[in-house]
Formats: sequence, structure tokens, C-alpha cells
Amino acid sequence: MIKNKKGALEFSFTWIFAIIAGIFILFLAIYGVTKFMNIERNSQDAKTAMSIGVLTNPLESSFETTKRTMISTPVETRIYTGCKNLSGSFGEQTIKVSQKTYNEWSTGGVNVSFPNKYIFSENPAEGKNFYLFSKPFELPFKVGDLIYLTSTKDKYCFKNAPNDIKKEIESLIGINPSANENFFTKTADCPEGSINVCFIGGNDCDIKVNANSKYVDKNGEKMYYEGDALMYAAIFSNKNDYECQLDRLMKRTGQLSDIYRDKSKFVFEKTGCDSGLDFRLVLLKNTAENFGNSENLNIIYSIADDVDRENDISWECKLW
Amino acid sequence: MVMKTERKIKSKKAQGMKSKISPASPFAKKAQMKIQQMSFMLLGVFLFFALVGMIIITVKFSGLKQDATDLRDRNAMLLATKLANSPEFSCGEAYGNQKTDCIDEDKVMMLKEKENIGKYENVGKNTNFWGVSNIEIRRIYPKYESITCTSTNYPNCDRIILIDKPISGFDHSNFVALCRKEKYKNEVVNKCEMARVIVWYEEVK
Repeated sequence: MIKNKKGALEFSFTWIFAIIAGIFILFLAIYGVTKFMNIERNSQDAKTAMSIGVLTNPLESSFETTKRTMISTPVETRIYTGCKNLSGSFGEQTIKVSQKTYNEWSTGGVNVSFPNKYIFSENPAEGKNFYLFSKPFELPFKVGDLIYLTSTKDKYCFKNAPNDIKKEIESLIGINPSANENFFTKTADCPEGSINVCFIGGNDCDIKVNANSKYVDKNGEKMYYEGDALMYAAIFSNKNDYECQLDRLMKRTGQLSDIYRDKSKFVFEKTGCDSGLDFRLVLLKNTAENFGNSENLNIIYSIADDVDRENDISWECKLW
Repeated sequence: MVMKTERKIKSKKAQGMKSKISPASPFAKKAQMKIQQMSFMLLGVFLFFALVGMIIITVKFSGLKQDATDLRDRNAMLLATKLANSPEFSCGEAYGNQKTDCIDEDKVMMLKEKENIGKYENVGKNTNFWGVSNIEIRRIYPKYESITCTSTNYPNCDRIILIDKPISGFDHSNFVALCRKEKYKNEVVNKCEMARVIVWYEEVK
């Protein structure tokens, strides 16, 4: 009896020890694997975000017409675009990606920053295929390319668009629209659940474009614009991002005004060719640097028009 | 009497129990031995998994570095082809009609000035505005003896170094037109020459 009891004690202690240690090792292994999987998913997200940014490089336009490209991801993806206007001299465009694996969205990798990009999109844009197109932003010289990112899941129905806009969108769609097409100019073609972009009144409008007062009304918020590039920007993004990106563009306008003023002096010194733009460029720079919000766009645009006229007149000494 | 005998047995049992857990007992030694064996075994298993884990992580992260370098490579390659269209470089209509892949040399010389280029450098975490390490424009024709351009020797030079960081990396380049304003026989003329825009990127270590 005593011998049996001894055996029972020895057996149970060994087993208890093994079980506790086993649980500890198993727990560590599971924890490690989970952590490793998360790191792997985050790195995959970061890689995708970086790739999206890199793939927008060819969208830098010269004088060619608006063009569109498609990017596809192997799994359902959410692209979060953000704007930081306080970092660095020109602010930053951030891109973050979250991907769906095993029916679960990843927490989202790190924010990848691009100081030279201006992306306008829904936040997040969700899907497997995304269309990208760009338009140059000029004030009056080219300041940057505005990139518009839309998911093929989000169908945009442009109702009563002016002819130039309609033509531009039709040129983006092309002669044979693809199955993934998400832009429609004919109301009859618009699929159910489309995002309705109305130009002259209309029913069921999600986004209203007021071409006379030059503002886009989206989610009850007004975003003022000048020119088509900013109009598209307002249509595809939200108020916060739009204003932040405008602020970044104004910072770059200010810096480019400085470069053009320096160039004007430089060219004058070596050739005697005077553009006569020095004062106006200082004014443009100061206005850009003190830019408040999109409501003040008309002020800076009137100065820019003036600068552009003067630049066109001095054709021999044209700065841009 | 019976009670006394029972007490004796109980005390003997207790003594027996006591002797079982005594370290001097051969049973205790055997148990200790088993515990030691078990702990060494567990330690071995634990170390084995830790080592395997570390090897996997090292292999994975070296792949990640390669991926990061590949992305930088792709960025540099695409940037080299499109940099000439960026507002800080492009000719616009300053030299006649709009030109594609045309760099305004006068503008770039002004961008090179410290107060201007300084704003484009170090805008983010160890990166500049264009996300590459170095940018250089090299005139191909007419050729000088690899003279770096400054405001004093311009335009009799052939290398405009915009961003120059000592790096070990790779480069991508693209051919462009390099245009400037010049005075010729009391007239202002546009002069365009052939050049190469070179973009360097750093390898991720």
C-alpha cells in the first residue's frame, strides 16, 4: 500500500510538472506564431501601400490628356489615404492598407508617407480593383498632379455633366467599357446603388456640383473649387482631406513661386530678358502661404490669372 | 491496548512517510533525477523551437529587406522616367511649345540653391521630397570634363548635382532635353542640349 502511494505521488508530480511546462511552451509557441503572423500581415500591408505609392509615379503628367490605370490586389483590400500638412516643408500623403485574410481584416500596416503625392479618394476605398487617374494642378504654373483613386466597387453616375466633363469621363471609360467600369455618364446605364453626382439639380443626389458658385456639396459639406482638377478632387475625397491637400498644394505653390522668382532674376542677369513677374510672384507666394481654406481659392486664382497673363505677354522671357 | 497498538502503527506510518521524502532516500534521488531529466528535455525542446523560430524570422526579414530594396529600385526607375515632368524640373512652355521629358536648366540651377533645395531635403524620415537618395543631371553633349555646375561656371559644366548623399546604392537614368535661355547676337534664344537624369537609391541593409 505504502509503495503504491509512493508511486502515485511520484507519477503525479512528474505529470503536473510536464503539463505546466507543456502549457507554458505551447502558450509561448501560439503567442509567437500569432505575433509572427501579425508582423507578416503588417509587412504585407506596408508593402502593398508602398507599391500603390510607387505605382502612381507614371501618373506624373506632362501635356498629355488625362489617363487612367488600374491596380489590382490579390485579396479584398481597404486603402486608407491620409493627409498631413504639418510635417516637413510640404506635408505628406499617407497610404495605409488593410487586407482581408481568413475573412478577417488585418489591423492595417504602417502609414507609408509620400511628400510628393496628392491622392484623393474615399476613405477607405475598398475592393480588389482600383482605378487611378490624374490631372495636373496649375496655379498658374504646374504645382503637382492630383491623383484620383476609386474602387471599381463604387459606381459613380455623373448626371447632367457639362460637355467637357462628359467628354473627359467618356475618354477615360474608352470605347469598350470594361466589366469593372465604375464611371457612367448616361443615367440609363447607371447600376443600382450608384453614387449619384449631379451637376444641374436632379433627384437622388449623393454629391452636388454647383458649377456657378464653384463648390461641391458632399455629405452636407461644401468644398470650393477652381478648375476641373479640384472639382474631381472634391468629388472623390472628403472635406478634411480636401482642405489638407489644398494646404499642401499651397505650400508647394509658395516654394515654386520662389524658384520662379530666382529664375527670373537669374535669366535677367545673364541675358537681360526681364519677365517683369518678380513682384507678382512675391504676391502669389505670400497669398499661398497665408491660404486659409477652399473658400479663399478665388482670391489666389485671381492673382494667378494675373501672373499667367503677364507670363504669356513676355513670351520671349516666359518662365514656365 | 488496541488504541496504543494503533497509535504505534500510525507513528510508524508517519515515520515511513517522512523517510520517503527525505533527500537521503533512494526514492527521492530517483524523483530528483526524473525531474532533472524532464527539465533538461523541456529546455532542449524549448531551445529547439526558439532556434527554429529565430531562423525563420531571420530568413523572413532578409526577404523583407530585399522587398524594400526592390520597391526602392522600382520607385527610382519610375521616377527617373517621370522626374522631368515634375514641376521643379519641367520646361512647361518656357522654350516654345510644351515639351515632354524636357528639363529647364535655369530653373534647376535655382532649385540647386541651398535655400531652395534645403526645403526638398530631409522632408520625412531619412528621405527627401522625391523618395530617392541622390539626383543628378549630366549633360551628354557638349561634353566637359565632368565639371560640376556652380553659379560661377554655369553653363560651361556638365554635372548638376541636386542631392548628393554619400551612399552605397544603385541608379536608374533617363535621357532628357536640357533647355536654357541664352543671349546670342543680342537676341535671347532657347538652347536645348542632350542630358541624362540619374536617380540613385540606397540599398536597405
